[in-house]
Amino acid sequence: MTFFRRVPRWVIQLTCFVGAIVLAWPLVPWKIAPRFFQEISPFVSVSSIIATRSIGVGAVLALVVAIASSFKKRWFCLYLCPTGFLLENSSRFGMRKNRWWGKCPPVGRYVAILTIAGAIVGYPVLLWMDPLCIFTSPFALNKATNPYSVILVILGLGVLVGATFVIGMLWCVRICPLSGLQDMLYLSRKALWAKLTSGAASPKAAGRAAVTESSNAQLVNIAAARAPKPQAARKEPANRLFAKSTRKFSSARRVFFAGGAGALLALIARRAGAARYRKANTLLRPPGAVPEDRFAGLCIRCNNCTHACPSKIIHPDTGHEAGLAGFGAPVIKYDRDYQYCLETCNACSQVCPTGALTALAMPEKKKYVIGEAIVDDNLCLLVLGKKECDACELACPYDAIKIKWDEDQFISYPGIDLNKCNGCGACQVVCPVNPTKAIRVWTLKPS
Amino acid sequence: MRRSLAAGGLFAAGSLMPVSSAFANQAGAHEGTPERETKPPARVVGRKVTQPERELPVLHETSVLVVGGGPAGTAAAFSAKRLGVDVTLVERYGYLGGLATGGLVLGIFPLYDRKNKQVIYGFAEELMKKLDVTKFGIIDRNKAPIYPTFDAEAMKYLLASMVLDSGVTAYLDCWGVDAIVDGRGGVRGAVFESKSGRQAILADIVIDCTGDGDIYAAAGAAFEKVETNIGLVSRIGNIDMVDMMPGRGSEDPNSRQHPMVGKVGEGRPSEGRVSDFNGHAGNPTPAPHVNWLNMKGPLGDALDVANLTELELKLRMGTWSNVQKLQHRKGNEQVYLTETAPQLGVRLSRLLDGVKKLSNQEIRGGAKFKDVIGYSGAYALAPEFQIPYGSLVPAKVENVLAAGRCISAEFEVADITRLIPVCWVTGQAAGIAAALCIQDKCKPRNVNVAKLQNLLHQQGAYLG
Repeated sequence: MTFFRRVPRWVIQLTCFVGAIVLAWPLVPWKIAPRFFQEISPFVSVSSIIATRSIGVGAVLALVVAIASSFKKRWFCLYLCPTGFLLENSSRFGMRKNRWWGKCPPVGRYVAILTIAGAIVGYPVLLWMDPLCIFTSPFALNKATNPYSVILVILGLGVLVGATFVIGMLWCVRICPLSGLQDMLYLSRKALWAKLTSGAASPKAAGRAAVTESSNAQLVNIAAARAPKPQAARKEPANRLFAKSTRKFSSARRVFFAGGAGALLALIARRAGAARYRKANTLLRPPGAVPEDRFAGLCIRCNNCTHACPSKIIHPDTGHEAGLAGFGAPVIKYDRDYQYCLETCNACSQVCPTGALTALAMPEKKKYVIGEAIVDDNLCLLVLGKKECDACELACPYDAIKIKWDEDQFISYPGIDLNKCNGCGACQVVCPVNPTKAIRVWTLKPS
Repeated sequence: MRRSLAAGGLFAAGSLMPVSSAFANQAGAHEGTPERETKPPARVVGRKVTQPERELPVLHETSVLVVGGGPAGTAAAFSAKRLGVDVTLVERYGYLGGLATGGLVLGIFPLYDRKNKQVIYGFAEELMKKLDVTKFGIIDRNKAPIYPTFDAEAMKYLLASMVLDSGVTAYLDCWGVDAIVDGRGGVRGAVFESKSGRQAILADIVIDCTGDGDIYAAAGAAFEKVETNIGLVSRIGNIDMVDMMPGRGSEDPNSRQHPMVGKVGEGRPSEGRVSDFNGHAGNPTPAPHVNWLNMKGPLGDALDVANLTELELKLRMGTWSNVQKLQHRKGNEQVYLTETAPQLGVRLSRLLDGVKKLSNQEIRGGAKFKDVIGYSGAYALAPEFQIPYGSLVPAKVENVLAAGRCISAEFEVADITRLIPVCWVTGQAAGIAAALCIQDKCKPRNVNVAKLQNLLHQQGAYLG
């Protein structure tokens, strides 16, 4: 620790920021690096472990961060968080320097509680608020093929940086669920410590004593640094960054309400998700997606899958496919010429940090059914006698399409064997009918 | 006798007069036709039927005999005639044009390469130019990638007038049934069956444009037999009037419900298909309000008469019932069946084993041939490709050339070379090659390729 105290904080931050870019790009040959980078966040790890009832290697890193944060207040925010680094600097050059958010309640904690409670029900309600995911999302920009996708992948970070520039560090200090979780870890550890060391003192009092220190004073002072008294502010040590902002640990009642609200929201969202799925026609999720009722919750909109897709067919949803709840979550759209879900690729399912896309090995991926191809007799050139087209038959990598003769209707049509079709979209993207393809992949319906 | 069908330039093409003159000339032609002889009939002994050996009357002697008056046959006959050799064209039906007219395959594809540049000229371009100046003759010319569509009747008229103008001797309603071979196995003509009975036409070179390779097969050339879909094309009337009506047939396909919605519990269908026919059927033709409706049809053996009969009956019935189904849809009440094609849409039957078998690998790889005689346009997933002269020459039998759909190519390639404009290409090349054989007194396999290509150029063909 003494070593770190001698090094200026911004040096460590910058190093971590560059490291984050290297991992998220990924500039390392390790394709699933972005996923591990996001799993560092205890908020993501805890929620997804609870929601998916499964644990991965990344959890170890999250545990390290969690323990470190419980000993050093907002350790992660101060040194590691690349989003924090960006926002801090945005605020430094920003328009608002005062600490107006001091009166704002610690929303981040309730977000964290709400989400984890939701995760118990299987739907981590506000998991998408995790800062690491917001940070990595714009890296999918090179795979964004339409203006909507461009806007959606940069939306989160763009709004945060912009808002911080205008109103200051509100997000980091009060709203970020990861910082809220860290606060809770720190305070809980302290309370526990106090209880263990002085059995006489009531834990509540100890907790209250602990919380009187506020945790975001230093961030406040970063803003104040450019204000009239810069020298005093600069002298403040890094560990006092968040001093004085944490008013007190949330009462049990508030925790209970936040948790209850989270569970309730999760239940409602799952029901709505299931209903939406029943009605959906064109909603296609990337391979390995958990059932639709949970998908929109588990998905953190990190756009790792968008970024990983070599065919550029995974787009963040504008809300057109899956409504408001699914806003920004990935959907497959076979809207690019000759680009379909390759039979040799499982990249998207490998990079999901939360398990919204279950990691699929290649044999499993080939069997995973994205949707089902259905040919529309009203549009098919072959059926309508316009052209002797067999493009879909030739394109199908799974040998699921055969041009057949309908003995009763006296027409030829592409017969699709739904037991072989996995909805890869190869047929849809070669179909010459425009603008609406005669053969399209539809949402898989339960039988 | 050679002036039989030649109008001799007495009448201007395009007026009604040459038609009547053709009748007059034809009547004259038959003066020279040998009297039908009293022939011994076939005899049955037990269950065994035998045809007694007999001498066949020779109807005609010619230099180049073209069997089959479809796209390949007409291209071959006119191209050879232009080089001044004596050409006889024999056609089984009562009109020329084969599948292009009688099969109602009205779309001229594949005409363009992948960059939408036209790669088929020569006889094809000549015909299209003549159709250009014919009212309701052809539409969508030079609108790549949209293929031109011509009118079958305009084409029939055009080919008939070309026969009368060119001096090609033609026999219609005359079915080539056998090859005539000399002692050394070389083809010397063909035997025909017609209302005049069984007759022979002697020739120096025979071009087999039968589509089914009937003549080279009869002469003993090796071939591969394949089976493909056989359909029946039709034309339906009033269909575009339906489509033009606002709100009719313009239902947004995106607003369609999932076909399995509300059917949960009925079990998953094994096939993904919305089966419902809304009337956007077919492609427009030059004739107003008339669409031509292609049909891929079931797999069938084009050399099996029972199979052909079944298809002729069933497909005609099916086309009628489909149009009736269309009529029952709202807004389509006025749709009617103009005609079904007189000929079944046989795609492939025999494929020659030629000097060169054009392989799928070669055409996908863009192979270049020294003896290139023309191009096929890009079709489906295949790029445009060169067609070598070797594909038209049988590996063993002499004095015969193949053109049209029955040339020497692998199945996947033949599925493209069978198409109308490519048949024009191979037909024209075969015609010129046959004329060269006569002029240079050589066998088809020894034709001077440079000379052939030069002549193709002169006749406007595109060789890359």
